[in-house]
Amino acid sequence: MALQAIFLLVSAFTLLMALGAVLARNLFHAALFLVGAFFGVSVLYFLLEAEFLAIAQIIIYIGAIATLIVFAIMLSRGMMGPEAGQHNRYAPFAALALFFLFLLVAWLFNIARFEYSEQAVAPDAIAQIGRAFVTTYVVPFEVASILLVVALIGAIMLARERTS
Amino acid sequence: MNLSSLNWNSLLPELVIVATSLIVLITAVVGKVSRVDRIARGHALAVVTLIGLLIAAGLTIMQLSQPASDFMGMVQSDALSHYLNLVILLAAALAVLLAWDYLGRFTYSFSEFYSLLLLAVAGMMFLGKSTELITLFVSLEILSISLYILTGFNRHQLASAEASLKYFLLGAFASGFIVYGAALLYGDTGSTWFSDIAANASGGFLTLAGFALLLVGFAFKIAAVPFHMWTPDAYQGAPTPVTAFMSVGTKAAALVALFRVLQSAVSAPYETWAWALAILSLLTMTVGNVAALRQTSIKRLLAYSSIAQAGYMLIGLVAGTVLGLQAMLFYLFAYAFMNIGAFACASLLESDDWSELQDASMANARGLFSRQPLLATALAIFMFSLAGIPPLAGFFGKLYLFDAAIDAGWLWLALVAVINSVISAYYYMRVVVVMFMEAPDESTRVRLPIPDSAILAIVIAVLGALLLGILAGPSFASLGQAVVAWRF
Repeated sequence: MALQAIFLLVSAFTLLMALGAVLARNLFHAALFLVGAFFGVSVLYFLLEAEFLAIAQIIIYIGAIATLIVFAIMLSRGMMGPEAGQHNRYAPFAALALFFLFLLVAWLFNIARFEYSEQAVAPDAIAQIGRAFVTTYVVPFEVASILLVVALIGAIMLARERTS
Repeated sequence: MNLSSLNWNSLLPELVIVATSLIVLITAVVGKVSRVDRIARGHALAVVTLIGLLIAAGLTIMQLSQPASDFMGMVQSDALSHYLNLVILLAAALAVLLAWDYLGRFTYSFSEFYSLLLLAVAGMMFLGKSTELITLFVSLEILSISLYILTGFNRHQLASAEASLKYFLLGAFASGFIVYGAALLYGDTGSTWFSDIAANASGGFLTLAGFALLLVGFAFKIAAVPFHMWTPDAYQGAPTPVTAFMSVGTKAAALVALFRVLQSAVSAPYETWAWALAILSLLTMTVGNVAALRQTSIKRLLAYSSIAQAGYMLIGLVAGTVLGLQAMLFYLFAYAFMNIGAFACASLLESDDWSELQDASMANARGLFSRQPLLATALAIFMFSLAGIPPLAGFFGKLYLFDAAIDAGWLWLALVAVINSVISAYYYMRVVVVMFMEAPDESTRVRLPIPDSAILAIVIAVLGALLLGILAGPSFASLGQAVVAWRF
């Protein structure tokens, strides 16, 4: 019962933050609301005992993506002002489309038959994932580090000042 | 499990390439050099890169005689991947020779360029070897991201940045398709290994949709119609050595990876996918050739021509037989020589204003024969080979491909391909006519003096196009022996 109450509280928090992200007039505030929404989702993952997913959500969405968005807003001129609204004249259409999407998703959830597993979550799930990274999946794991090198060089190439 | 018990040999060429790339990268931060020395340092880096490529090629050749091996089922080191490695390394080496003089004209970022090129090579080599979806995706991203950056390498030029951005945006979509397809296949089978997918695929909607999405993603990477929209702009805007490299390397690696993926789709019979590939091939060669007819820029003409060539190479996959695979590999070798050779010649006809689009217009080649007879002859040889005129490599490549198609019962596709070759002859010959029959005027332009490195690249490419043609029989047969050894 207590868990359900926490779930409802966290869900409400997440939804409010998401609404704030869409409705805030100041783009920077919107980004901060987005961080809050991401955080709420990660708490939901914790409640579902999906610890790895929850931590990945924090590292990737709050640590990387939200920071990227904040930087992008701060670095682009004319976006910081409080009068820079997020909405144009198509906003009602977007809302309408979203409403139908919501109906569709609700309908799909209604007809879908999800399979449930009786198996409990392994207490050392994160440790198991870590071991899999360096045993079974060592090749893609190591190759991904090459990908990171490529991305680093690329970022430096893009950001560096032009010299003639 | 013990890491030392693994078969590291099967990944040795790739490791050498990555190590070379890191060595090249580190030199960027060692010491400060004056502007004059920078060019010399660039040449030194090119030499290091070439040595790395040669070592990797040597290791690959040594592995040719060894039986196929795998690395924890993630990568498969077999005849297919060895020959693919050789094509990629050849393309990269020729691209380095092209970049030798070209690069120093607009940038001093030599170490970044060569290390990105090497990393793209490593990505391609991993891609051709991967037998597991995660490895496949990560290696595909390595090569894609390196090539996005290399495409926009000339930062003084708007067209280069535009090409890079277009390539990036559409490429990101293609990657999305591949991830989505991989996710569906994983959902269907509970595994990312090709062998498990083949064994457990339900054959239902999930399997079909998964493979179809992967096919779309790969079709984008090999620039097959209707997923080719980015190609002309990206190929025209990119620095020419990069264009030459990616037009060969990406196609080769993606074709081999696509073959491995589709081979694992045994639960949905290969014929289903052969039909999809056949339609893709038909569209690709026809649209590529027809669009090339109207081009006035040699670089753009070669871009459309390379779309059409991808259509021919897809025929090998359509056949799906040993003969088809063998023909595709042979064609890849021939294509590496003649296409990079053609781009090498085109790079010498470009304007010297580096803030403008680096483009070799058809007018620049007017009467080239009377100004530079050897260069004109070399370009003519590449054009003849691309058009498929005997006794050059391109002719035999097409012959083997069409033969494999007929052998596998795809007579109509072979006929369409023959008709397409006739169409393509028109625009390839137009370049030759402009060079040999017309008189030079003020628009004729050659970058003089022609750098020795470019001459070397062109000579290698000419020799390759000639020798692969003259020795087509024996080289095709030796490819065959190796490919047959591959499990079917």
